[in-house]
Amino acid sequence: MSIVDRLLAIDRRWIFLFVLMAVTIPILLPLGLPVTTTGSTRAAFEYIESLKPGDIVWLSFDYGPSSAPENDPMAEGFLRHCFKKDLRVVVCALYPLGGLSLANSSVAIVAKEFPNKKYGTDYVNLGYKDGAEAVMRRLGENIADAFPTDVHGTPISELPLFEPETVPVERRTIDRVQVKAPGSEVRMGIRTIGQFKVVFTAATGLIGEYWITLVNAQFGTPIIIGPTAVSAPKYYAFINSGQLKGMLGGMKGAAEYEQLLGRKYPELSKFYMETRLFTGTKGMDAQAGIHAVIVLFIFLGNVAFLLARGRERKG
Amino acid sequence: MTELHFDTGRVLLLICFGLVPVAGIILGLLAPSLRRQIPLIVGFVAGIVPILSLYIPKRFLSAAGEGMSPRLDQYLIIVAGFALPLGIVNVIQINSRRVGRGEKGWPFALALLIGLLLMGGFGVYGAFSGQGIGFLPSGAPTPFQWMTDWFFRPLQATIFSLLAFFMASAAFRAFRARNVEATILLIAAVLVMAGRVPLLDFLAYPFPPLHPLAASLSQTMGRLTEWIMDVPNSAAQAGIIIGAALGAAAMAIRVILGIERSYLGLGKGD
Repeated sequence: MSIVDRLLAIDRRWIFLFVLMAVTIPILLPLGLPVTTTGSTRAAFEYIESLKPGDIVWLSFDYGPSSAPENDPMAEGFLRHCFKKDLRVVVCALYPLGGLSLANSSVAIVAKEFPNKKYGTDYVNLGYKDGAEAVMRRLGENIADAFPTDVHGTPISELPLFEPETVPVERRTIDRVQVKAPGSEVRMGIRTIGQFKVVFTAATGLIGEYWITLVNAQFGTPIIIGPTAVSAPKYYAFINSGQLKGMLGGMKGAAEYEQLLGRKYPELSKFYMETRLFTGTKGMDAQAGIHAVIVLFIFLGNVAFLLARGRERKG
Repeated sequence: MTELHFDTGRVLLLICFGLVPVAGIILGLLAPSLRRQIPLIVGFVAGIVPILSLYIPKRFLSAAGEGMSPRLDQYLIIVAGFALPLGIVNVIQINSRRVGRGEKGWPFALALLIGLLLMGGFGVYGAFSGQGIGFLPSGAPTPFQWMTDWFFRPLQATIFSLLAFFMASAAFRAFRARNVEATILLIAAVLVMAGRVPLLDFLAYPFPPLHPLAASLSQTMGRLTEWIMDVPNSAAQAGIIIGAALGAAAMAIRVILGIERSYLGLGKGD
């Protein structure tokens, strides 16, 4: 049996072994490879940077444990950014398989890093609700209809974050009962998703798309998405159409966001260098390793394939 | 004297989703052909109301909290909630039968049932005890959260991570330059795989003199990847999304008009 034939008929367990080494070695011995930033992540970061302290943002955990290594670093990076900017954050989970538990864990981790942030005033966790599309439509009418209580069972009307305050009307409010013109002032609490400066959805599957097609299209709220790398190609079309403010595509997007956070906030750069938590930047070494293995095997497979085809044509 | 408030939206919904189905059940018992007609009427109303509410600015149709359309959204959340217990009952029925009969793979069915009862039990306990299913005020995890952190998350992550092994093996066997189309796909795939990560930096890691060159080439490849994603990929994705949206709209119209009846368990001819 020639080398070409052996290569074409290679036992897949050899490939598995190389994959295992490519993933485990960089995790055990981090290489610290450079991460370059892309336009979609920079756009997301700059949009959050443009917000003013006290602005209110929505963070939705729309993924499960299967994609947590990709989505967790994005959601936590976004939450750190919001807390650094003194933005108020409302958290929810719309993914049935473990979305709430991931939200609880990530919020607990980041809240511990910012002891000055007070639950109920600076951030709120509304918990999980089934039926993502219907929930989003209700959020456009009245948040309390979709989430009457927070994750602890406290009615949201009792949470300081939702208490009425006087706010300027920045865009025409989509409210069929009372239309307010831009420039006027109105005394109101946080009532609908239309009042939020942005929705960040860390998403797997279709829920991310629902935020764009339902919430952005119908209520005008800007959306930033953090999809898994598998889903990311779809969302480039939404970025180009202006329906997305930005995107953190897969673990690379999370790592890019961490780099941008580190550059803007030196204390976060120190944090990301020293933390024992899993971060997107740490994951990139392993991802580079596995991509190298796949590209190498594709190259070898094609060389062997072309040599075998040449041999067949000759013979 | 209290003023009588006639809530048109609520009355219409009560008629469409309360009286009509009840009347349908009764009439269906008397005349079997009506069993097909009444669900179609209910489906038509449920489908047409949200569309009309967007174009007809009437309070009974679209007013927040009291219009027919917002109320239907509320119903949808409740119906979606009912889908969960339905699924749980189905899982228990199928797997308990498998365990009871000692069918092939029954230990897996038993493991599934134990997992379901444990996680579900801790969830229900959290709800009734007032603890919830997250963390306690002391920061300690509730039993549900503990199970999630130490069982559910690692198990799901393990299953998903196996994909890396199978994808590498499949890529080796499937990505072959067999013809022009396959070669274009192959080149694009390799460029994107290489450009999304610091691949050249990784390969040049053991050779420090090559680091600057690798970094420079990596950046160029990254820009090329971005162009591929931003232009050809985005154009193709937009086409797919528009096509799928038009297909979904056409299907919705078919369902609303009663042409598509498979959701009722009926074929075209029924």
